[in-house]
Amino acid sequence: MSPMKLCVPGERLCSTEDCIPGNGTYLRHGSIFASLAGYVLRKNEGEELPVISVVRETEAQLLPDVGAIVTCKVTSINPRFAKVHILYVGSTPLKDRFRGTIRREDVRATEKDKVETYKSFRPGDIVLAKVISLGDVQSNYLLTTAENELGVVVAHSEAGAQMVPISWCEMQCPRTHAKEFRKVARVQPEYLQA
Amino acid sequence: MAGLELLSDQGYRLDGRKATELRKVQARTSVFAQADGSAYLEQGNTKALAVVYGPHETRGSRSKSLHDRAVINCQFSMATFSTAERKRRPHGDRKSSEMSLHLKQTFEAAVLTELYPRSQIDIYVKILQADGGNYSACVNAATLALVDAGIPMRDYVCACTAGFVEDTPLADLCHAEESGGGTSLALALLPRSGNIALLQMDARLHQDHLDALIEAAMTACKGLSKVLDDVVRQHLEEVSVLTRD
Repeated sequence: MSPMKLCVPGERLCSTEDCIPGNGTYLRHGSIFASLAGYVLRKNEGEELPVISVVRETEAQLLPDVGAIVTCKVTSINPRFAKVHILYVGSTPLKDRFRGTIRREDVRATEKDKVETYKSFRPGDIVLAKVISLGDVQSNYLLTTAENELGVVVAHSEAGAQMVPISWCEMQCPRTHAKEFRKVARVQPEYLQA
Repeated sequence: MAGLELLSDQGYRLDGRKATELRKVQARTSVFAQADGSAYLEQGNTKALAVVYGPHETRGSRSKSLHDRAVINCQFSMATFSTAERKRRPHGDRKSSEMSLHLKQTFEAAVLTELYPRSQIDIYVKILQADGGNYSACVNAATLALVDAGIPMRDYVCACTAGFVEDTPLADLCHAEESGGGTSLALALLPRSGNIALLQMDARLHQDHLDALIEAAMTACKGLSKVLDDVVRQHLEEVSVLTRD
């Protein structure tokens, strides 16, 4: 690997005519400047200008953004919403936990008024959800599971065994064969790791 | 001048420096593993330790968080043993609160806070030994810590003090020069763009001398930025050598 160029915050990298600004850079007066200390990386994508970005040895802190798919753990539920801790954004783990809320009307797309949070989630479930808003003054991150691919992926029964999904709204305990209600996610094959 | 001569006839200061000469700056980054970023900086005998956490979820009341950018939370403190007379309260007194506010304003000008809406960045700085230029040592140490934490910034922030004695601007005052009762000006600069992040002067000065004084402080800040630059580059190279092997 060729020795990569070091850069420090505030260093001018190039003009906007040569590159497209990527991560760790910012624009000022038609030039691209570095905003992080790290290595300069140019990536060519087809016919367009190369994307210039600054990479670091250690990954910077990532924040959940609107539209991102997050993995979270349910901490508490009540008739109006479920509270969760966000653990992953996409496939990157977060350094510390962010709190989020899944409101009753955001649990599923159809028959929203008949949703019961107790029949959708239980504390301790691992849920795939999408960020719909960063929230306002009173609330945290607002999440939704109103898609087939979103919902509970891992849940444990009252007997303590990991349950197997049997339909989009039910899971069964392999030990007692008791059925419990959940808003089950249809996990896409690309998310399943061998 | 009663007994003390701040600038000798030969043009030397109390500690043997020339008028525009800076004190020796030594610094290290990543001094703590637990924090997201940290730095230790010595500027002459002034020693400062800076620690950065974040960006993370807003602590305390959520009403403090801003919908379009991150909140910067600064806390300045001085160790009880940092001054000649032992301090009673390491932080929370009027002077420290003012310093915290100044640091916050300085870094709001430099950090790209709009990248992290609804979150918080914590900067904690502690003076371990105070020998003049506390504010500038804090700013320089905190800049290194922010770079270490990988928080995006427009530029380095470099700060330096300057005084005015016998028609000559003095750069980087030590405690003896600062407490002599003369003018002292603190300046925080974004050196590449030349933008001023903070300018503070508490004493009286003739308007004609102000430009010369600011010029001296800016030159000193630019000198400091080269030192900080070397520290950051050296650390980057050390890290890359360690991870490649």
